[in-house]
Amino acid sequence: MLSVKGLKAEVDEKEILKGLDLDVGAGEVHAIMGPNGSGKSTLAHVLSGREGYEVTGGSVSFEGKDLLDLDPEERACLGLFLAFQYPVELPGVNNTYFLKAALNAKRKYHGEEELDAVSFMRLMKERLKVLHLDDSLLKRPVNVGFSGGEKKRNEIFQMALLEPKLAILDETDSGLDIDALRVVANGVNALRGPERSMIVVTHYQRLLDYIEPDYVHVLAKGRIIRSGGKELALELEEKGYGWIVDEAAA
Amino acid sequence: MSAQALKSDTPAAPQTPEPGPFDSWLPSVARADEPQWLALARADATERVHTQGAPTSKSEGWRYTGLRALLEQGFTPVDEPLSALLPEDIDDLLVRGLDSHRVVMVNGRFAPQLSDLADLPSGLTINGLRASLAEAPTALADSINAVAGEGAHVFASLNTAGLDDGMVLHAKRGTLAEKPVELLHLSVGMDEPRVAQPRHLISLDDGAQVTLIERFASLGDALYCNNALLEIRLGRDAALKHRRVQLESPSAFHVSGVYLSQAANSRYDGVNVGIGARWARTDVVTRFSGEYADCNLQGLYLAGDQQLLDYHLDVHHGLPHCASRENFKGVVHGKGKAVFDGLVYVAKDAQHTDAEMSNRNLLLSQSAEVDTKPQLEIYADDVKCSHGTTVGQIEPEKLFYLRSRGIPQALARRMLCIGFAGEIIDALGNDALAEYVADAVGNRLEAAPL
Repeated sequence: MLSVKGLKAEVDEKEILKGLDLDVGAGEVHAIMGPNGSGKSTLAHVLSGREGYEVTGGSVSFEGKDLLDLDPEERACLGLFLAFQYPVELPGVNNTYFLKAALNAKRKYHGEEELDAVSFMRLMKERLKVLHLDDSLLKRPVNVGFSGGEKKRNEIFQMALLEPKLAILDETDSGLDIDALRVVANGVNALRGPERSMIVVTHYQRLLDYIEPDYVHVLAKGRIIRSGGKELALELEEKGYGWIVDEAAA
Repeated sequence: MSAQALKSDTPAAPQTPEPGPFDSWLPSVARADEPQWLALARADATERVHTQGAPTSKSEGWRYTGLRALLEQGFTPVDEPLSALLPEDIDDLLVRGLDSHRVVMVNGRFAPQLSDLADLPSGLTINGLRASLAEAPTALADSINAVAGEGAHVFASLNTAGLDDGMVLHAKRGTLAEKPVELLHLSVGMDEPRVAQPRHLISLDDGAQVTLIERFASLGDALYCNNALLEIRLGRDAALKHRRVQLESPSAFHVSGVYLSQAANSRYDGVNVGIGARWARTDVVTRFSGEYADCNLQGLYLAGDQQLLDYHLDVHHGLPHCASRENFKGVVHGKGKAVFDGLVYVAKDAQHTDAEMSNRNLLLSQSAEVDTKPQLEIYADDVKCSHGTTVGQIEPEKLFYLRSRGIPQALARRMLCIGFAGEIIDALGNDALAEYVADAVGNRLEAAPL
């Protein structure tokens, strides 16, 4: 599904990723944990194609394609989805219109017919139910005036509609209280499946109580320094990041 | 020997009147059938045209708006009404789903065969200006120039000098018109570049409420010029919603002036949309004649390659307790240019004035230009006034958010522009019209290299 090899990336001429390797197979959920400034969000952004990051080495292949060669929209159409840590507010852009444009862009890319308004509304209603989302959110401009929890749920709702092959959740737990976290996690779990992989980027173990990963990786100073099963997350929760970072340095 | 010295040796030639820049615009023959007061008003205006001449970049209010291209065309007045058009010819130009009382002007002349004025509510009368003059030759003697006055710029003088036809709308005291009145200026290209100068007189007596949807559209992409002038008088407690959608042909020149006089507690709610024309200048001039009047001016302009769209707003608060709000947004792309000049003047006696001015612009290219000049001149000390101007680009975070959802870059940019414009499109307050405008904005942006 996704294969990252020796990935190096800079922001403002400062190297953030220093040779990162990661392999994600179909249906797997990988957690990427690490201290602040370790490069977690940079990894998420480089994979989704955000401007301002310069890849200086390594390769990323996604579904057999050179991901780094593609525009963000093409990556999305191929099945990559980034749930933003800070979802962007789009004043004047109606949420329903936005979702329909996104879904139809993807369908068009794959040579499928665009959905008409009625089929689209039906699909939306069905996905809303799964996520227990209030449909009033759909009539408002994208993320404008949404609470932190609503913004994150809107991200997961987009994911439910776009049905990505690989979803990257960037600090999806940040800014959420425990109830909102549970709702978001339930939404994510409902979308798990043998064809859908996920990369869950998080600072805290808390989220992983709800979204149980198959693998946990520790990212520090731009490299993955330790990989393991879900028990690694518990160990990190207990002991913090210091010991692993020290061990890796030794 | 220099050329200058040579010149000074030549005896002075006898003074002949210099040819004026607008000579071709003026009617060549006097109209025998018109009332004397009108002939006089026309003669006065013609004289003013000669004295005023063409404004240059040194004239205040024309600094960023060159007239050269306009003057080069040598526009001549429309001489014959174009009566060959049938209702089905204009089908494509109608706003789908808009239920209105419709007045159609073709090249500046009232076209009854295309208009639909059946079932006007009682108290509301609408007629062509020519027809009104024919029916009651003196009735409008006190109306023409009553609001626009004689101090306005040369295009207002030209409009009076070339006065030919227009719409006369009168709403009696307390009239509530449920359906909007639609005033469609339809332009059809002629063999020569023609100028149409319709004059509209709109008068709402005390407490009357009317919605006027004014549109400019063309058949084909002909070269022509519209120089339209509206004089609007609002009585006490009267309310006019005025929507203006300028979708002239891409080769057209457009001048329009909206002159407003508002009595106590009256409300003017105007939304100006400018999308078409190669060169367009719009003036909105408001004067209050009573306290607690409210003037709300909103606008959206979309200027693309080789296009100039210029808005001048002039709200004069001479009396206390009036409110005015100016909210204009612009999207400029390619080598397009836009001008926003908003003046709010608060006289010494105009205490408790509430005035707000905002002009926000989105520039989509390096060579797009906007000249924005918000001006507040305040001489009263107990007022609430504010203004703000922004000129910015599409924010990369927003663009990336859309692209990360699979939306192609050009569509994403378009969506953000329409989102930016959405506030003004919503302010149109009419679903059919809003959809029409949103489509027009979308089409323009789709054709533009974003």
